[in-house]
Amino acid sequence: MGASIVEEVLAPSPPPILVGSSPRRRWIARLGPNLVLFACAVFFVAPLLSMARFTLQNVPVIRLGWSTLFDKWTFRALTKAFDDPLFWPTLKLSLKLAVGTIVVSLGLLIPTALYVNLRLPRARGLVEFLTLLPYVVPPIALVAGVAAFFRPNAKWYLNSDYALVPLYVVMALPFTYRSIDAGIRAIDLRTLVDASRSLGAGWGTTLRRILLPNLSASIVSATFLTATVVLGEFTMAATLAKTTFPVFSYQYFGREAQGGIGLALLTLVGSTALLGIFTLFTRRKARKRTARA
Amino acid sequence: MTTAVIDQTGGRIDDAAPAPGRRVRGFAWIGLLPFLLFLFVFLLLPTYGVARKAFIGADHSFTWTGMSDAVTKERPAFVQSLKISLVSALLGVVFGTLLAYAAATATRPKWLRSLVSAFSGVAANMGGVVLAFAFFTLLGRQGLGTKILTTGGVDLYKSSWFDITGFWGIATVYLYFQIPLMFLVTLPAIDGLKVSWREASSNLGGTTWTYWRRVGLPVLAPSMLGGFLLLFANAFSAFATAYALNTRFNVVPVKISFYLQGDIAGRSPLPFALATWMVIIMAVAMGGYLLLRRRAERWRS
Repeated sequence: MGASIVEEVLAPSPPPILVGSSPRRRWIARLGPNLVLFACAVFFVAPLLSMARFTLQNVPVIRLGWSTLFDKWTFRALTKAFDDPLFWPTLKLSLKLAVGTIVVSLGLLIPTALYVNLRLPRARGLVEFLTLLPYVVPPIALVAGVAAFFRPNAKWYLNSDYALVPLYVVMALPFTYRSIDAGIRAIDLRTLVDASRSLGAGWGTTLRRILLPNLSASIVSATFLTATVVLGEFTMAATLAKTTFPVFSYQYFGREAQGGIGLALLTLVGSTALLGIFTLFTRRKARKRTARA
Repeated sequence: MTTAVIDQTGGRIDDAAPAPGRRVRGFAWIGLLPFLLFLFVFLLLPTYGVARKAFIGADHSFTWTGMSDAVTKERPAFVQSLKISLVSALLGVVFGTLLAYAAATATRPKWLRSLVSAFSGVAANMGGVVLAFAFFTLLGRQGLGTKILTTGGVDLYKSSWFDITGFWGIATVYLYFQIPLMFLVTLPAIDGLKVSWREASSNLGGTTWTYWRRVGLPVLAPSMLGGFLLLFANAFSAFATAYALNTRFNVVPVKISFYLQGDIAGRSPLPFALATWMVIIMAVAMGGYLLLRRRAERWRS
């Protein structure tokens, strides 16, 4: 699935609704919601834990019990997967695809979003509508069309591994554009641009020294989401027979179940680490800005 | 037309109309050219390629047979696709809304709400190989969760209705991204329920039940219905998760992939007709979602 249809901006928290005033009545009223929260916590955490255990413990589930709970924990399944001749090439390819997708996305969408907001506000509705179209054409349909259209017309394009880059840009478009556009709307774009221009800065300087620093938070969030989508994308890569990292994980799972699941775990941990780093980065940046102000 | 948009984060007012004295001329549209060209080549042309293969027969003339053949030949795949999308969307709406209500009204701990929101952002985008593998290890025949449940007296695999590669198994896995997606969609609507409405209801003698039936649910209805359509579309288009769990699971996306791999030359119109049907269904569901979302925003102020 990859890029899913997440597009609601979270609103700030409202005052909570309290039912009943005595602690006892409140506890009873909270019983249902707390049960829901607990059940969800179990449902969402359990698969991740069992995946980690499957990779890191060499004890089959049948023989697992209290006495064998701490036996044979090892990274061997993972290190064995690292030694596979396809591990590094496919990881490198996926990382290159991620970087390529990010560069093309930002290079295409930042100028477009700035242009729409500065010069062509009445095109905003149209552009927003266009950026939602990839939801209507799901990856499996898009890739069928790419194969159907480009095979007779531009076979060289399909033969390249980087054929995936523009397709990933399209797939990520709804949230990359939204994120950049939200960033632009949160700043006083016209005043900043007019001030910079009247002080004698050219467009390049204005972009580099004024606009990009002000948009860094939304650029970072677009970058992170794009990276996680590309590093997990399976549908288009598999259909076009490009052995990216997720495709390799899937194939490796067929040979070595434990190692294949280890690779999936690695993807998950890697994406989460990316998220953590970017969150820290943006938070520090925001703190610096408030300190300066 | 002048629309003033109040930004949620900054609270600044952003004037959408062009500043006075700057007339928008026709050639201003040239600036959109790279973007439009990109979408034309990598979205419109492929879609055209799909439709062309679906509607143009072997004799190069327009025909409906490809489309009707797809429905008759692959009826089980359509039925299964609709069924799993309906079931996972319905369950996703119910549990996602409950989760959003539980998280939005929780007073302690303070970080709970932002934790659930952040996690939902990640989980709603999860899917594919990683998610499928995680559930294999949990609820597969040799899964850890299966064993714990069996020890607790619930044997999932005793009667044959549950299998991680079957309908209910895959529906369960879909819930892993459906519930968080519904949470993200419905949280703003739940935040929009004002405490004063509830107070007004109880001042007029209404019980909790009356409040939900006459005020709460009617206000939430558009975003719940919209969320349902969004989740339906999301499940209908999901390919990698289903494929990684069961390469022969009979749903439309898996069938498209099956026919594409079997027919390298792309002579058969079948996968393309299936893909066209898929685009049509997605367009209807997403269109309905966007309309309902506009309606749902009426109560947010």
